[in-house]
Amino acid sequence: MEKIKKKGMPPGLRVALSLALFYLFLRFIVQPPLPFSVIFMYMAMALAGAIMYLTLFFDIKEVIVNPIYTFLGGGVEGGVAKGGRYALLVAMPLVVWFGSYQKFNKEIQPPLDPRVIHPAPPVEFTGLYNPFNVEDKETLRKSVADGKEIYYKNCIFCHGDLLDGDGIYAHGFNPRPANFQDPGVLPMLQESFLFWRISTGGISLPQESTPWSSAMPKWEDMLTDEERWKVILFLSDYTGFVPRSWE
Amino acid sequence: MLRRAIGRYGLTLTFIFGAAVFPVWADEGAAPEAKKAGDKDKGVVSVELGKEVYIKRCLGCHGAEGAGDGPAALRFKPVPRDFTKGLFKYKSTPHGSVPTDEDLIKVVTNGLPGTGMPAWKSIMKENQIRSVVQYIKTFAPQFKDAAPKPITIGPEVKSSPESIEKGKALFKELACFMCHGEEGRGNGPLAPSLKDNLGRHVQPRNLTKGWIFRGGGARENIYMRVNTGLMGTPMPSFADKLDNEKSWHIANYVNSLSQYPGVPDWNVAVMAKPIEGDVADDPDDPRWNDLERHSFPLVGQVTIDPRMFTPTVDMVTVKAMYNEKDIALLVIWDDPTKSVATPAAGETVPEVFDDAIAVQFPTKLLPGTQKPYFIMGDINNSVYVARWNGRTNAVDEFNANGTEVRVGLRITPQAEVNWQFKGKGTYKQGQYKAVFKRPLVTEDKETDLQIQPGIFYPIAFTAWDGSNGERDAMRSLSAWYSLYLEVPASNDRFIYPTLFLLVVVGVEWWIARSYRNGNGNGKQK
Repeated sequence: MEKIKKKGMPPGLRVALSLALFYLFLRFIVQPPLPFSVIFMYMAMALAGAIMYLTLFFDIKEVIVNPIYTFLGGGVEGGVAKGGRYALLVAMPLVVWFGSYQKFNKEIQPPLDPRVIHPAPPVEFTGLYNPFNVEDKETLRKSVADGKEIYYKNCIFCHGDLLDGDGIYAHGFNPRPANFQDPGVLPMLQESFLFWRISTGGISLPQESTPWSSAMPKWEDMLTDEERWKVILFLSDYTGFVPRSWE
Repeated sequence: MLRRAIGRYGLTLTFIFGAAVFPVWADEGAAPEAKKAGDKDKGVVSVELGKEVYIKRCLGCHGAEGAGDGPAALRFKPVPRDFTKGLFKYKSTPHGSVPTDEDLIKVVTNGLPGTGMPAWKSIMKENQIRSVVQYIKTFAPQFKDAAPKPITIGPEVKSSPESIEKGKALFKELACFMCHGEEGRGNGPLAPSLKDNLGRHVQPRNLTKGWIFRGGGARENIYMRVNTGLMGTPMPSFADKLDNEKSWHIANYVNSLSQYPGVPDWNVAVMAKPIEGDVADDPDDPRWNDLERHSFPLVGQVTIDPRMFTPTVDMVTVKAMYNEKDIALLVIWDDPTKSVATPAAGETVPEVFDDAIAVQFPTKLLPGTQKPYFIMGDINNSVYVARWNGRTNAVDEFNANGTEVRVGLRITPQAEVNWQFKGKGTYKQGQYKAVFKRPLVTEDKETDLQIQPGIFYPIAFTAWDGSNGERDAMRSLSAWYSLYLEVPASNDRFIYPTLFLLVVVGVEWWIARSYRNGNGNGKQK
C-alpha cells in the first residue's frame, strides 16, 4: 500500500483511466467514425494489454483486489469511503431496477427485416464481363457518355446526382438505393453481379433477400443489354471505383 | 532494463500500435475526389477548372450550353435552371438583378431541398464549387460588369402570437392567398393558371411544408423570399410594400404554418388506439384530433412502366382507432386541386382523372418478415387494396398479383357485395381527409386481410392526383410500413425489475453480514 502511494496514482486507476481515454479517442476523435465492432476489437486488445501489464509488473492483489476490499470492508474508516459505501449500497439496486425496467418496457417496434444484401447471382449472370470496357480510349469515352445519359434519364431519381444513393425519391424506399460513392459497393462487387441486379431488379431477388421491398426496376424490360452495360461503365467513371473483375 | 521499459511504456506502446492501424479504416471513408485531386488545382479558382467540373457534374441536368436541357431535365419538376437567361430564384439581391457569387456558391454547396439539385459539398472541394460558379456566370450576359448588392435583413422581430397575427393580416392584404391559398396549401384560385417565363405551369409552394422550401424554411429565408421574389416565376418581390418589421411578420406567419418544425419525423408504423364505443366514420369526428399522427413519405412510382416522375402527393398522415369490432383509419393528404375525371371526347384520353388514395395490405399475413412485393404484390403473394375515390366518395376493393411490363397489371376486382371498407372523405382548402372503416374480421377470408390487435401488419399507401395526369400505375406510393393495433402493455415491466431489485438487496445484505461477522478483513486470505 505504502509502496504504491509513493509512485503517485495507483496503477489500477491509471490503467482504467488510460482505457477510458483510449475509448474516447476511438469513439470521438478518429474520423470517419469507426464501426462499433472495430472499437470493440481495439478495446479488447487494449484490455488484454492492460491485464498483461498489471499482472506482469504488479502484485494483482495489491493493485486491484486490495483497493476494492479497502473500499467495501472499511479499511479506511469513516469519511469519504463510508459515504461512498452507503451510496453504492443504495445505488446498486436502483440501477438494476431501472436497467431491467428499460429492458422490459421496450417501445413496441415493427419487426426488423433481416435479409441478405448481396446474394449470389444465378448461373446465367456469373462470369460476365463488360463488352464495352475496351482498350480504345475514344470508343470507351463514347460508351461512358451514353451511359451517363441513360443514368440521368433513369437512375438519378433514386441513386442521386452524386451517385450516393440519395436521389429525390430515396427517402421513400426501404432498402435505400445503393450508394455508389461507398467504397464497400463497386469495388466489392463483380460486374456480372451489377449487371444481374440492374437487369432483373428488386422483384427478382432470391428468397434469402426477401422481403422484396427493393424498388429497383426490372431494367431488362426498359433498357437494352448494351444500355445496361454502358451505365455500369459510367458508374465507374463518375466515382473512380472499378467493380471487381472476374477471376 | 527492457522489462522496466516495457513495464513503464508497454501500455502506451499497445495504444500506439493500435493507432498505427487506423489509417486503413480512416482512408476507406475518404471521398474519392480527395484522393484524386492533383496538386495543380489545389485551392485554385478558375473558369477553366469550372468548365471541367461543369462537364463532369452539372451537364447531365443543366445541359452542355447551360440551357437547363440536359438528359434528365424533362423528368424533373421544377426543371433544372436555364443559366442562359440570367434568372435565378434563390438569392439575396433585389428583384431584377443577378445574384451575388456567394448566393450561387450557397446553392451549389447546400443544394435545393425538394429538387434534384443536391448538396455538392460532399464531393466537391471549395475551389471547385467557386470555379463552377464562375463558369456558370459565363452563360448569361447579365453577369457582365454586374455588381449586385445584397438586401440586408434588418433587426429581427421574434416570432410571437401578435407578430403571427399581423403576418396573417398582411398575407390577406397583399393577396398572397390568391396563389398560396387561404391556409397556405398552394391551392389559391390563381394556382392552376400560373406560368413561368417559359410558359410552363408553376405550382405555388405549399407553405405548410417548410422542409421543401427550396430556399430554406427558416424565417430569415422567408424574409428574403418576400423581398427578392422569385425571378422567372409569378412570385413578385414585395420589397416596396414591406418594411423590415412587416417582412418579419410575414416570415413569422408563414413559418407558423409549417406542419413540422424542420423535417418531418417520418414514422415506421401506424399505431391504432383502442377506444370505447363506435369507431369514427366521419373525417370531421372531433375524436380524431386527440389521436397521434403518423406521417409517411410518398414518392413517384418509377419502377414499372408507365412511370410517374413528377407526382403531386409527397406524403400522407394517418391516424387510427379501433374497438373490438372495427378499425378506422383517417388518411390526410394535400392536393392543390380537387379533380374529377372529365369524360373522354371520342378517343382522346382525358387530361384530368379522379383524385384517389388507397391503402394496401398483404392479402394474407405471411410467415416471418415475408411480404408481397410492395408495388401491387407479386405472382406468388397477392395484395389487398382498398381505394377511396374522390368523385364517388366511396371505397372499392381489389386484389393484385403484381405488375409486369409484358403481362400488365394482374388485378382481380372484388365483387361490390364483398367491399368491406366503408369510406367517407372531405376536401377543404387543398387538403383531403378520408376515413377507411372496416370490421377487423371479415367473411372473405381468402381475399381480405384479417386483423387482430397486437400484431404488426404491413401497410402501404398510394395516391393519385387526377389533374396531374395520374392514373393506374402513374401515381405516388410508399414502401411497406406497419399497422399495429395497440394492446395494454403487460405488467412484466414492473414485476421482473422489482424481483431483480430484491435479489440485489439480498446479496448486499449477505455481503454486509459476512463482513460484520469476519470483521471486514475476514474474507481476505
